[in-house]
Amino acid sequence: MVKEIENQEQESESEPESESEGEDEKLSTEPSKNAIYNSEALLEKIEDIAWPKKIDWIHKLTIDHPQVEKVDVDDDLARELAFYTQALDSTRVAFSKFQKFGVPFLRPPDYYAEMVKSDSHMLKIKDKLLYEKKMMEEMEERRKMRENKKISKQVQHEKLREREKSKKDEIESVKKWRKQRERDGYVKGEKGNNEVFGFEKGDDVFDKVRKKRPGVAPFDRSGGKNKGKGSSKGRERRDSKFGFGGRKALKKQNTAETTNDFRGFRKGGDTGSNNKKRKRF
Amino acid sequence: MGKKRKQTEALEPKAEPSPPPSRPPRTLTGWKDGAVQDPDEGGDNTFFRNKEKVLVTCSRRINYRYRHLMLNLVSLLPHCKKDSKVESKESKGSTLNELVELRSCSSCLFFECRKQKDLYLWMVKSPGGPSIKFLVNAVHTMEELKLTGNHLKGSRPILSFSTNFEESAHWKLVKEMLTQVFGTPKGHRKSKPFHDHVFVFSVVDDHVWFRNYQISVPHNETDKVDKGGLDKMTLIEVGPRFCLNPIKIFGGSFGGPTLYENPFYVSPNQIRALEKKKKASKYATKVKAKTRRKMHEMENALVPDEFADMWKED
Repeated sequence: MVKEIENQEQESESEPESESEGEDEKLSTEPSKNAIYNSEALLEKIEDIAWPKKIDWIHKLTIDHPQVEKVDVDDDLARELAFYTQALDSTRVAFSKFQKFGVPFLRPPDYYAEMVKSDSHMLKIKDKLLYEKKMMEEMEERRKMRENKKISKQVQHEKLREREKSKKDEIESVKKWRKQRERDGYVKGEKGNNEVFGFEKGDDVFDKVRKKRPGVAPFDRSGGKNKGKGSSKGRERRDSKFGFGGRKALKKQNTAETTNDFRGFRKGGDTGSNNKKRKRF
Repeated sequence: MGKKRKQTEALEPKAEPSPPPSRPPRTLTGWKDGAVQDPDEGGDNTFFRNKEKVLVTCSRRINYRYRHLMLNLVSLLPHCKKDSKVESKESKGSTLNELVELRSCSSCLFFECRKQKDLYLWMVKSPGGPSIKFLVNAVHTMEELKLTGNHLKGSRPILSFSTNFEESAHWKLVKEMLTQVFGTPKGHRKSKPFHDHVFVFSVVDDHVWFRNYQISVPHNETDKVDKGGLDKMTLIEVGPRFCLNPIKIFGGSFGGPTLYENPFYVSPNQIRALEKKKKASKYATKVKAKTRRKMHEMENALVPDEFADMWKED
């Protein structure tokens, strides 16, 4: 039963949102014939209840605003805009009237009084606005990042091609230079004249470096000087952990202090920083 | 009561030392006819005092959304009195009239909720005046977060009407009622002397649309807007929003002869029933189509073909 009521409430909540006049219109294309319209009695009633004609405007505060064009009801934006302009125009008229009267009608900045909406409610509104703004900013940032990524990819590609090209050009220029020299009358086979550089043939320049030094790891810049002496950080750490130099079993046991110490617990775990799926909306 | 009168008159310095307007005679059943307002034969404008008091109440089993709407209106109308819920069935009788009289109000807004989904609003001038029954649509309460404005509680609103209220007699009556019910009386003790919001009533598509905007305008003095301030004026919506569809206008309060009936009005019950029927009628139409086809076939039976056995031997 309770569920039923809830359902109904949800329905009723969604109904007014969609402004259900559309259905009305379809049904009411032709007005019913026998509807009562007693215009004399209506006017009489107005006479009955109306205030005296001569009263000042300040008592009524009514402003009539001519509706220029017909408003489309189903177009939410156009309709709201029409209401807004009506309100704005009539407020302007009213304010100029007030100014003519010369009575104070604007709230001084130091006049504090109860408002229609409570402060806590206004805080909620503010929070929501801020949140929306933040979301917009984040979206913008993400969009920018995406574009940047695209651009940077392109730039990288361009750079690589450029490098390739410059390399080719240089080789070409060296060849040219050599030919020039030959033509100029240098004797072929003379010393220092006929070397062929590795890069010209296109083979790996680093091959020599690798082969010449037995016992040294490739790309070891120190030339094997460090061998046996120093050790890497990782090695040190592993040594300290797994017992290089003595039995560590007792040290690894928990004590009262360590059990109560939660500092290392779930440090920087999956709190969302690297969870991309969650971050996405 | 007498005490209050003295206070308000002290506020109006121009009042002549003539005796205060005598209180209209009161009968057992309420005010005498037309006695809600001060008689205008007094002639002087300063004598007019708006003593409108609006009773706001609702039927039992009202939806929370509509109840919030009612409370919003209560907060917007400083000249109203809120009463506890009334049993729906009683609304037919004179109990509501009695209640209005008991609270010495001159008009009443009665929110009647039916089936937990349809909201009807009765707008009534109490002793003898007319009463209008509206169907309320498109309700947005002030609690919605997208309505970001705020204004002083009890400041007198500017009432803006679209001119098509003047087009026909019933709209004129509606306008008169709206001005009296929604306008806060000048010098009401709960009202504030500043104007920072505007009510918009607009007739679109034979419905009255209500909006409430906060006015924000740059100003340094209290009686003058800054130069060019009127152009810089902006409005922020405060809410609530609703849309009133007039159904009927009666001559008396909560009853009496019908003066107007909306020819376009279709009750939401009918709409729902129609929708349901449309859904339910799928099978029925299928069956109907089948029988019709059968009938058609029976009526226009095929003529026996004379060439049917032309190529048969013998």
